[in-house]
Amino acid sequence: MHISADMIFWVQQKRWLLIAFALGAVLYHFVPGPSGLSAEGYHILIIILMTLILILKEPVPLPAIALQLIFWQVIIGGSTPNEVGSYFMNDAVFFIMGSLMLAVAIVSQGLDKRMALGIIRITGNKTWRIVAGFTVISAILSSFVGPHMVTAMLLPVALTLIRFTPKSAKSTSGLTAALLFSIAYGATIGSIGTPSGGGRNVIMMNYWAEFGSGSLSYLQWMKMVYPMVLIEIPITIFIILKTFPPEMQVLDTAVRRLSVEVAHAGKTSVREIMTVILFALILLSWMTFSEDYGLGSIALIGIFIYMALGLVSWKDLNSSVNWGVILLFGATISIGVQMKNTGGAAWLADLSVGFLQGVIPNIDTLRAVVSVALSGVMSNLLSSSATVAVVGPVVLNLGGDPILLGLASVIASAFGYFTAVAAPACTIIYSSGLVKAPDFLRAGWKMAIMSVVALMLVAFLWWPVLH
Amino acid sequence: MKYTYKIKPESLKFLTAISSSEYSGPTLGMGSLIASVFDASLGVVYVGEKANEFHGSSVNLTRKNLDNWNIIHPGLETLKWALKELKAYFPENVALGGIQFNADHVYKENGRVRVLLPEEKGCRVELILREGELVDQLRKEIQLEGYDLAIIGGSQNKRHLAHSIIQYLPSSILVLQKFKPRKKYKLLLLVDDSDATEKSVAWGALIAEKLGWPVHILTVSKTKRFGKGYQGAADMAKTYFDSMNIEIEQSFITGDPVSTFVDFAGDNHMIIMGASTLNPIKQLLFGSKPIKTLARTDVPILIVR
Repeated sequence: MHISADMIFWVQQKRWLLIAFALGAVLYHFVPGPSGLSAEGYHILIIILMTLILILKEPVPLPAIALQLIFWQVIIGGSTPNEVGSYFMNDAVFFIMGSLMLAVAIVSQGLDKRMALGIIRITGNKTWRIVAGFTVISAILSSFVGPHMVTAMLLPVALTLIRFTPKSAKSTSGLTAALLFSIAYGATIGSIGTPSGGGRNVIMMNYWAEFGSGSLSYLQWMKMVYPMVLIEIPITIFIILKTFPPEMQVLDTAVRRLSVEVAHAGKTSVREIMTVILFALILLSWMTFSEDYGLGSIALIGIFIYMALGLVSWKDLNSSVNWGVILLFGATISIGVQMKNTGGAAWLADLSVGFLQGVIPNIDTLRAVVSVALSGVMSNLLSSSATVAVVGPVVLNLGGDPILLGLASVIASAFGYFTAVAAPACTIIYSSGLVKAPDFLRAGWKMAIMSVVALMLVAFLWWPVLH
Repeated sequence: MKYTYKIKPESLKFLTAISSSEYSGPTLGMGSLIASVFDASLGVVYVGEKANEFHGSSVNLTRKNLDNWNIIHPGLETLKWALKELKAYFPENVALGGIQFNADHVYKENGRVRVLLPEEKGCRVELILREGELVDQLRKEIQLEGYDLAIIGGSQNKRHLAHSIIQYLPSSILVLQKFKPRKKYKLLLLVDDSDATEKSVAWGALIAEKLGWPVHILTVSKTKRFGKGYQGAADMAKTYFDSMNIEIEQSFITGDPVSTFVDFAGDNHMIIMGASTLNPIKQLLFGSKPIKTLARTDVPILIVR
């Protein structure tokens, strides 16, 4: 048989797909499952192992990874197609879908220009105040609307300021990094503040309900977690300014030119007013009705009204939302539920606890460490939402209080400061080409230490008071 | 060995890969120079990193919003810079000189973004934006447009890339390692019995003639005996250069070919050699002369396929 360079190239490009499936086949056919784990549980863990390899190395597009998750569950996971389908769509997936669509509806209205004007009016032209302003606004807004929407709206403002700075890009690298990271890290620390701050928060709420672990209302979540956001905001500003010292103390010219640029936006239009009012109503509904109707359903009602009022077209939504990712979240959640149902999650939880029991004798501390470490490490490799979808069932099987451990896991999954892949806000600023991978490491380790300390403070001092 | 290969000017298509205005100046400069030597059309491709697919929606949304602020994609910004540079490199190209870059005039097709140049008829330049893994994207672009030569800058990660670039790019390849635009290089033309030697000789002769670079033709054998194929190829090369009135030096050396090429090239030659005819599996497992040479040398190297 003639082997061409094309065939070898294909093998080279797809080697991780071949490795993943070959490993899965060997484990399935030749390696017996460990004692204490059901055959179905073992097979589900094999599927998860193959999927993790595929997500990490991306030899095939993400939607294809979602599809293999579905068919493997039917072929070797012992599930029927209807079972897989029934776990596939739930409120968490509705929320992720709705949240991405809401972002399109709101960002397309041009409200960011007004936001820019508002920020500048408050901060003035001192660089540290602008960095602080971006961090505070990003954190607070992101806690309600999600980091992707906030970053999409604030990044142009920051880039315009940089563009209007009368110095070359090389000589303002500190300023550029400070402005961009203030948005990305601000949005990331804020995203844990409320359930609607991120898809992963809703995925965990969905797992609590699915596994009968209890529940938290929107406001209860805020009470427990928001203090941590407030602690992190000033320290984040400090870390950013110290790590990326801006070369200019005052951005006089840039601010003036930005003001002129955004002034062209004209008077507030009816569309803009309707957009803001409608979103305020959605937010209010999340706070008051989400326990009855779910966050996802409310987001979809909002999208329906935006479309009915002509504020966004289906064409825009369809072209701007990556439906493959939604497919992947649905598939990941379905395998998460199967992991719990087959005993795979409990077995992994026991294994993690048993592995570290010699090092950390106190079982509560051990559970907390496993929960935070698993989520924190995985979120830097996958994305935070995918981390919670996979790690969530394991964490909820660790024993102890599932609400507290689940919260700790969700919060730790936001500690993806080291790479550009973990958090959407980090990926977005990275895509600007103005910050490099090492920049994430330079600031990321400080952010991670600060966040772990803040989490410990909240968990040991604040949560016992509330819970 | 009878010489049969003929260069067909104006039918050749060259591709230059750039990454940023900061680092790609020499690569673009040499790409333009080589294209003018061969009277070839020139494609300029920017290959950027693809955003993590998990957050693809968010990145797309941000890019759409950035468009509203007239902030263009960093890749388009680099292509805009490239167009400006090309105008300076090709002052005689009137069609090119009249073109203004417009980031709104782009066309998404075949997994890439092509900048529509309004008066591109006659300017013989293409500006392309791609995102993804470098070798994969270059390969797709070469296959799509049928480029004859890919010109890429040196990489710090070249040992890892050398194999992929040489084995998988389906065109001739010029790797500009530590290339200094104002330096006058000598050409080191490696001649043996491989199929690509004829083409290497023709390309080398044209470059030497147009750029005035001195030529050294080197034939290396592992044994003391130089077979008919090697001797015939060396004679053919000499005859070809003589026919063009280009003076050459010629050496026959016994030893390890790759070590000899690398030592001989030093830091002041540009190497020209033919692509390997080994089967792809052997190349994958054991490498080939071009792969090993590229991995070990620091001078520019043209591998002719």
